[in-house]
Amino acid sequence: MNNTIVSYLSQFESYKGLLESFSSLFGEAGPGLLTFLVFLIGCILVVTVMATIGGLGTYAERKISADMQARMGPNRVGPYGLLQFLADGVKMFLKEDITPNTADKFIFGLAPLLALVGVFGTLAVLPFSSGFTLSNLNVGVFYLIGIGSLVGVAIFLGGYASNSKWSMLGGMRGASQIISYEIPVVLSLMAIVLMSGSLNFGGLVGAQGGLPQEWFIFHNPFTFIGFFVFFIGALAETNRAPFDLPEAESELVSGYHTEYSGMRFAFFALAEYIEVFVVCGVGAAAFLGGYKVPFNLGGEGIIGQVLQVLVFFGKTLALYYLVIMIRWTYPRLRVDQLMTLCWKYLTPMAIFNLIGCALWIYLLDSKSMWDMLAAFVGSMGTGGGH
Amino acid sequence: MDNVIFIISTILTVGGALCVLLTKNVMHACVYLLTCLLGVAGLYVTLGADFVAATQLAVYVGGVVILMVFAVMLTGGPNSQSSNKFGIVKIPMMGNAKTYIIGIISAVIFGLMAYKVLSRVITSIQAGEAPVFTETVEKIGFMLVTDHVLAFEISSVLLLGALVGAAIIARPKRGV
Amino acid sequence: MMTLTSYLMISTFLFLCGLVAVIARKNLIAVLLGIELILNASALNFVAYTRFVNNNLDGHIFPLFIIIVAAAEAAVGLAIVIRFFQIRESIHIDDATQLQS
Repeated sequence: MNNTIVSYLSQFESYKGLLESFSSLFGEAGPGLLTFLVFLIGCILVVTVMATIGGLGTYAERKISADMQARMGPNRVGPYGLLQFLADGVKMFLKEDITPNTADKFIFGLAPLLALVGVFGTLAVLPFSSGFTLSNLNVGVFYLIGIGSLVGVAIFLGGYASNSKWSMLGGMRGASQIISYEIPVVLSLMAIVLMSGSLNFGGLVGAQGGLPQEWFIFHNPFTFIGFFVFFIGALAETNRAPFDLPEAESELVSGYHTEYSGMRFAFFALAEYIEVFVVCGVGAAAFLGGYKVPFNLGGEGIIGQVLQVLVFFGKTLALYYLVIMIRWTYPRLRVDQLMTLCWKYLTPMAIFNLIGCALWIYLLDSKSMWDMLAAFVGSMGTGGGH
Repeated sequence: MDNVIFIISTILTVGGALCVLLTKNVMHACVYLLTCLLGVAGLYVTLGADFVAATQLAVYVGGVVILMVFAVMLTGGPNSQSSNKFGIVKIPMMGNAKTYIIGIISAVIFGLMAYKVLSRVITSIQAGEAPVFTETVEKIGFMLVTDHVLAFEISSVLLLGALVGAAIIARPKRGV
Repeated sequence: MMTLTSYLMISTFLFLCGLVAVIARKNLIAVLLGIELILNASALNFVAYTRFVNNNLDGHIFPLFIIIVAAAEAAVGLAIVIRFFQIRESIHIDDATQLQS
């Protein structure tokens, strides 16, 4: 039913040896215990790596924005300022944890945790490589969409619980922005699901190849448009880039996380940066070929898996760079312009995409543009060559 | 080991439902409903219904709960106090003792009815070997467009009607 | 532990909680929360029977439609609550006593 990291690892001899020893030690509960331990170690590894990437994201943002603005970013704390995010983390640990007096204490404490749960839950289905996906669920895309909506609930609850007008406005705008932009994002992903025929991420990536002409983005004019619709929608979903009105520093005094200080604010910021990574990862997996290595270098063994992980991270981090660049280039959208963009432009385009992809599959038997071009050039070369 | 998810989901569901019943603050009740719905999604997973669990997550958690929370905020918030025509201020959330007694009596009556029906059903159905978990997405999709296509299309018309209707009903009156 | 009886008991408990919430609460939105609990209890019943009695997937499709209809009905119900608040400035059930103002 699912491939998980356990089913991948159980192909190796050393894992079978471990299984034998666990069965002999713990009897009947042995295999279950070993599965649980493998998942635990996998989850801890993924969460640690992702938290580090979230922290390095803040550093990368400061450095890239500095580069674009012709200045140096942080360069004092470590070599090239690399340890800046650790210093920021220590600062946030040491800050005083203030809870407003009239705030709703239960929801005030719950909102940052819900945001983190929503984001870390999506890491379970992200396809790092063909073997190292933590759990290749059969309904992976759908599960990701569902768990990702927890972040919207968390933003609203955070804005409400602070019991301050700025936070309430920021929370309501943030939640309405997130639920509005889910529609173009989900519709663009559904066009890709149509073309690959399955909802699980392994199938999505497996239907593409390693070379750029085999990626889904160049398959169709419709998926090409779909990639940009997905990207803009994903930028708005994560409250990022020109769509960051809910946390606008110059307008709402920092919006829904005005009243949070110290570690609670760090949870919100971490959730935002990791969510940007997750949507870039989903875009890379669905449109840009995911973990497929060109020419299938490295085969199926450990070298191949490591290469696949590196390729996936490379594509995701390239999209991340694009996201950071867009933030420091474009001015902020007003809230009515934001809603107009979603409902009047992106949603009709996404629906048109979905219908177009379905028609392409039905009429042209889902041949990509490259295939048709190659067949045309081939027939022209052999047929009409003078 | 495989009972752990069942136990966690049961605790989330049952605890959430009880807390929805017992809390005084409607915003807290919405958060407890969110917990309860997450627990029910977990129970679907233990029953092997992966597509239904994912749909529960996407529709209820990402849709209905946000809708409830928005409605709470748009109708004055959980601290709104209303005074009725006699000038007495009441907290709208809790009923008085009369309503709770009626509620509990009806719950007891219904519980006894359910027990009487279910006990005969449970003793007559012998659960044999539970079947192996399969992937349900393809089969559900196939059935939705062959056997149940009428219900599928009508539900899309229903959703369109609900969308347009809710937008019109809740629109603030302009002009006269 | 995971027998049909335990799932049926959980769904009955959910139904009873929803029933008491619908009857005993005086906030319009709390009544809608109770209705959501009732609908979830019935959907859970369907899926439990599918797993333990026959593996017919009709028992998965009907909960899908229950979820869809519950979402649509929650939307319309909350729109009515908001309209009621715009007219009466209150969401207490006891203030919903007149047919036309």
